[in-house]
Amino acid sequence: MTLLEVSGVSVTFDGFRAINNLSIAIGEPELRAVIGPNGAGKTTFMDIVTGKTRPDTGRVLWGELSTDLVKLSESQIAKAGIGRKFQKPTVFEDQTVSANLSMALKNKRGPFAVLSWKATAADKARIVELAEEVGLADRLDHRAGDLSHGQKQWLEIGMLLAQDPRLLLVDEPAAGMTPAEREHTTDLLKRAAQTRAVVVIEHDMEFIRRLDCRVTVLHEGSVLAEGSLDHVTKNQQVIDVYLGR
Amino acid sequence: MTTPNRSFLRDNPSVLWFMGLLGLFTVIVTILSEGMGAGVMSTNMVKILGMTLCLCLIAIAMDVVWGYCGILSLGHFAFFGLGGYAIGMWLMYARTEIVIRDNLAQGAIPATETEVAEAVASQIFGVVGSSDLPLIWTFAGSLPAQLALVVLVPGLLALVFGWLAFRSRVTGVYLSILTQAMTLALSLYLFQNDTGLRGNNGLSGLQNIPGALDVPQAVISVWFFWASALALGLGYVLFAWVVSGKFGSVIRAIRDNEARVRFLGYNVEAYKLFVFTITAVVAGIAGALYYPQAGIINPAQIAPIASIYLAVWVAIGGRGRLYGAVIGAAFVSLLSSWLTGGGAPNIELGPLRIIWTDWWLVLLGLGFVAVTLFFPKGIGGLFDYLVRRQP
Repeated sequence: MTLLEVSGVSVTFDGFRAINNLSIAIGEPELRAVIGPNGAGKTTFMDIVTGKTRPDTGRVLWGELSTDLVKLSESQIAKAGIGRKFQKPTVFEDQTVSANLSMALKNKRGPFAVLSWKATAADKARIVELAEEVGLADRLDHRAGDLSHGQKQWLEIGMLLAQDPRLLLVDEPAAGMTPAEREHTTDLLKRAAQTRAVVVIEHDMEFIRRLDCRVTVLHEGSVLAEGSLDHVTKNQQVIDVYLGR
Repeated sequence: MTTPNRSFLRDNPSVLWFMGLLGLFTVIVTILSEGMGAGVMSTNMVKILGMTLCLCLIAIAMDVVWGYCGILSLGHFAFFGLGGYAIGMWLMYARTEIVIRDNLAQGAIPATETEVAEAVASQIFGVVGSSDLPLIWTFAGSLPAQLALVVLVPGLLALVFGWLAFRSRVTGVYLSILTQAMTLALSLYLFQNDTGLRGNNGLSGLQNIPGALDVPQAVISVWFFWASALALGLGYVLFAWVVSGKFGSVIRAIRDNEARVRFLGYNVEAYKLFVFTITAVVAGIAGALYYPQAGIINPAQIAPIASIYLAVWVAIGGRGRLYGAVIGAAFVSLLSSWLTGGGAPNIELGPLRIIWTDWWLVLLGLGFVAVTLFFPKGIGGLFDYLVRRQP
């Protein structure tokens, strides 16, 4: 089933066409990698889906009801079930790991509901479970700012999972990680993708190979090739783009 | 293993400490006061301390909106002033009415209600050359109505202003400038004679409480001190509760990275509006308790500089912790009234003569710079050295 359908989307920044008639469809469940040289529009694609950037033309349809995400605000899109991990790890450094996770938990988001919120036993168990999943079970009471770079990345992935989204958009999850950490991250993403749609932007080909999934190559704001990693890396156009013509 | 919510008091040890110290302070002031106790402390001093408690109350409101939620509002003193005006209208109207009735009762024919109302109006507004009661004074004779306005006027202004500003995603220094513009506009508007609030004369005689006109000021000052202490205590508990749970997590997260909070599915604007409005209401209540002790309110009180001072107090005291705001407001405002009130001796330095009334602002400015550079956590941050919390 198609969960997200981006069709004919274009965005121009000051005359620069960052996204050019882009069309991508993501199923549920699915693990998808998006690769492409710098400036190919990978991050802008995520900005459009999450409502950070409004496209000039085109539609972004979501779910069974084919809701047009272009008309929704960032928080409404997040509530609809799209979670995003940024390129730089952005956790709330001043707060504990458990506070970070608890904020992301799938609960009511209104000010009054949050003001009177009390963690239920189920919430507490879920926080512990998530922390275990991302390997931070013994760090729950630590400030997120004290975590290592890799641990911050995992915490952010944990926060994404806490939101229980149907679609996870993950921007360069392996950046700055040690090989062991990378492996752990691959496992996390593959496990998450068993029940939901996961889109990963990554530069590192080894990482993509380990994900073992369908790959979309972006170039100059549109899809250049799509298929298995072996398939796209044999594509002459892709080779040209990556090696420079 | 951790749990996200333990008991409120265990998570907020400062609440018990604060309540204990505030209670102790209240008892000591009462015992020393002229009105109720030994008479060691002058009535004027009791009033200054009572007013200081009101300033501490608006300072914790400022700390919540700025220190916790990251909105540097430079307009919260406007809400303080509006609360003062709302209660001042009743104090002035009701007292004038009592005096007028006493005077007219000496006449041969009992005065009609219309005559009383006209006399009250010309008594209050004669100073700005008018004898009609403006529309906004319609409920000035009713204490419950004016008490409601203490909450409603600042609350509604904050709600409308905040809604317009936050939904347009005005943030950072631009929002600060906007709030300065708001308080400047309000202050300039109130300076006009025809706005119905007596222009630059303001409202005066507020220390005389209708219904207690024969009670000496020495006693009234202690009453207001108690009321101010109670309001500060309640305000402290309320805000400590607001900032301690998940709500506190969310607003601190908004302060640190509001875009990220949006992608978690929170409506950032609704949170900011909630915090802006509730702190404005508390500022209004603080003002309503302050001005009866000050005795007079005029538009100069809500000039933009007052709101900037408020931010300076919170910065010096240490933002992001409620007791820091209390320390900053109490320390700086008491020091200010000591130095500018002639309490401190002037210093002769040869050709240079340090007159504190002139040099106080220089000292405050240097203090602000020093705190920002060397103690970014403010005076309250010193407690971190005393209480080394385990991570």
